[in-house]
Amino acid sequence: MFRDVAFGQYYPTGSPVHKLDPRTKLLLTVLFVITIFFIKSYFGFMLTLVVLLAIVIVSRLPIVSVLKSVRGILLIVLISAAINLFVIKDGEVLAHWKIFTITKNGVHTAIKLALRLVLVISGASLLPLTTTPVELADGLEKLMIPLKIIKVPVRDIAMIMSIALRFVPTLFEETQKIMNAQKARGAAIDHGNIFKRIGAMMPVLIPLFVNSFRRADELSFAMDARCYNATDRRTKMKRLKFGWGDAVAALFLLSYTVVILLDRYYFKTVGIDIDLMIFGELL
Amino acid sequence: MSQIEVKEVTFAYPLREGVGMRAVKNLSFSVEKGEFVALVGMNGSGKSTLAKLLNGLYTPTEGEILIDGISTSKDENVFEIRKRVGMVFQNPDNQTVATIVEDDVAFGPENIGLPREEIISRVRSALDAVSMTEFADRAVSKLSGGQKQRVAIAGVLAMRPEILILDEATSMLDPIGRREVLKVAKELNEQGITVINITHNMEEAAFAKRVLAMRKGRLAIDGTPKEVFASGLLEACGLKLPPVMQLAKALADRGFEMPSSVPDEEELAEEIWRQLK
Amino acid sequence: MAAIEIKNLNFVYSAGTPFEKHALKDINLTIEEGSFVGVVGATGSGKSTLIQHLNGLIKLQDKKHSSVFVNGMDASKRATLKKLRFEVGMVFQYPEYQLFADTVAKDIAFGPKNMKLSKEEIDARVARALEVVGLDYDKIASRSPFDLSGGEKRRVAIAGVIAMQPKILVLDEPVAGLDPIGREEILALIKKLHEEVSPTVILVSHNMDDIAVLADRIVAISDGRLVADCSPKEFFADRQLVKDIGLDLPMAARITDALVQKGVPLSADIVSLTELADALSALKEGAHV
Repeated sequence: MFRDVAFGQYYPTGSPVHKLDPRTKLLLTVLFVITIFFIKSYFGFMLTLVVLLAIVIVSRLPIVSVLKSVRGILLIVLISAAINLFVIKDGEVLAHWKIFTITKNGVHTAIKLALRLVLVISGASLLPLTTTPVELADGLEKLMIPLKIIKVPVRDIAMIMSIALRFVPTLFEETQKIMNAQKARGAAIDHGNIFKRIGAMMPVLIPLFVNSFRRADELSFAMDARCYNATDRRTKMKRLKFGWGDAVAALFLLSYTVVILLDRYYFKTVGIDIDLMIFGELL
Repeated sequence: MSQIEVKEVTFAYPLREGVGMRAVKNLSFSVEKGEFVALVGMNGSGKSTLAKLLNGLYTPTEGEILIDGISTSKDENVFEIRKRVGMVFQNPDNQTVATIVEDDVAFGPENIGLPREEIISRVRSALDAVSMTEFADRAVSKLSGGQKQRVAIAGVLAMRPEILILDEATSMLDPIGRREVLKVAKELNEQGITVINITHNMEEAAFAKRVLAMRKGRLAIDGTPKEVFASGLLEACGLKLPPVMQLAKALADRGFEMPSSVPDEEELAEEIWRQLK
Repeated sequence: MAAIEIKNLNFVYSAGTPFEKHALKDINLTIEEGSFVGVVGATGSGKSTLIQHLNGLIKLQDKKHSSVFVNGMDASKRATLKKLRFEVGMVFQYPEYQLFADTVAKDIAFGPKNMKLSKEEIDARVARALEVVGLDYDKIASRSPFDLSGGEKRRVAIAGVIAMQPKILVLDEPVAGLDPIGREEILALIKKLHEEVSPTVILVSHNMDDIAVLADRIVAISDGRLVADCSPKEFFADRQLVKDIGLDLPMAARITDALVQKGVPLSADIVSLTELADALSALKEGAHV
């Protein structure tokens, strides 16, 4: 049955975001993530948060579904922030204890790093939350078409990808079943240290592998029986089409990117410091 | 010329160089267009191997199989054969390629490069034929076993086949799913599609018009369900009489005069009633 | 003390998402030791969710109001969970897909090993389990389970569960996918296990003919609720209920109905072929006298 997968469980709501062309979503997600790495000011982070929230609201996703993705990397975020906090030693010293020194620069870097990571993961998680695996595979295939020129087997890759995606829920369910069966025989899968757990996973992994090979075998028969590889000119039932929504989404995200870039490269040079205007003495 | 002609076919799985395990031995039979055949036999009797031989997934080691006069042994015929002979397999989870129902049904037509409009119309009518139209945009993984198998049948129908082979397609289903699939098979048969149902469920065998029973790679019995159940040879094939025949037998043991074969419950009830009057 | 005591059991899958499903609703159920219970219900009715509560594979969601006790042990207590799992043997659907070890003996020994039994005891249990399921130790113990036939694999998988000598044995569709002879063998084996190994047996099945003959009690689940808890005869006599919850009647009951319609005086509680044949032959004798 359903368990809440940490990252990327499709969450159907039928929103305008769900209906966008997967290519648009793929490209805009990449743009969004890259843009986040260009953020310099707290204003930029706030703006990103607002944009993110706006997308979540338009997608009609519960905020929890996005936070769940963040939960998975929380530990990494905290550790990297802590490292920055203690390693950066230049700037005004705020506290000093034995070998540990905390500086103002360190605090800012740590906070910004944490925000960046959280925003990147939240932003990226929107893609699988609003796009079915098949759409993603289709979109990727279309985007990869230029690679055909350099003899990349785009269609095979797309087929492999879409079959892999198709089997995610099946294998997930099967893993659960096998785990239950072995737990029922007293397997200590859910406790002990990491090495013990890995050892205890063998009675789960081996049948999972064996069964996957059997599945692959049967699937290949089923695909052959349905004339897979009958012709080089395989056709497609579904055509991807850009619509108005895609234009609006692209415009929206591009404007955001422009603002972030202006903030980073231009505002300061013309003497505008939004952070100072908003936060003032706080910094 | 029959629609399916199996002529002295032997098939051996290659084990190692020059050595094979013979799963089908010197088999000959033919099937006419529009028949509804049950192919029965215990596990390991060779019946699933035979199914794969019929649409060119395997080719005979010896002998020949002709579908509409086309030999399955020639490489250039293989897709022509597979278009004509559709197959639905046992495990519903291992034969869907796509996540969404209609995408899966479209897989076959896409493979043979049909134009887009043609694919759409075929997918629509195939889903309609198995009463799954309203599920067109659903995820296959969320369907019941019976629904998944109906989608698999639709995937085959979209290729406009002349023969439908169900390779133990009902064995993993609950009774409701089993009935759904058999109902669809029967409807398609009435529209002229030849159906070969491979099964070890004897009630399903009774449902067919002709039963072929296999034993150790050979054809042991070939006849109507009545003839086959009356032959007394089922047990030798590792099979059992269907429950309704078991009841008839129990009644015969208790002094009723039972015909040698009773095809269904209704007729048995009728017979009992006649004798009680 | 009852073997199983379930009070006010509720279970909701994926609460608060579009996939939310109320799988169990206020289930109260007591099963005495020594009984053979048939659990019936349409696919998706909640049967699997119910049986997975019996050994803590699914955790109680509302510990305040509901409880599951097995042989006096609280299934929601972590401390006794392991012990509890050894007392409830679970044979899931297609159990052969869970085989993993490189020899049959090692696979069967997995449960007993987790019980931390002595080596001698483990060996003895493996041998005994193989014997009970009707496989020849000398021929099969050192072979790879993956090389066996389908029917043999299933027996080995069942042996792996009964080697723990569970007091309660739960079987979920144990004959699914088997050919007629294989089915008959496994059903006979289950009967034997009830007599020799596990005093309490819970059988989940869609096959009403099997259930009607094997079980001494039926627990019917429909849409997450317990809708019947009685003898097979009482259960199947309630034709309307059986139909409403989407189940079949045993064949004997179907033919009984057909005959009753024609005016033959037969009781609605006939569930097995032998019963029907006997009743009919009594009628025939009566007619002749």
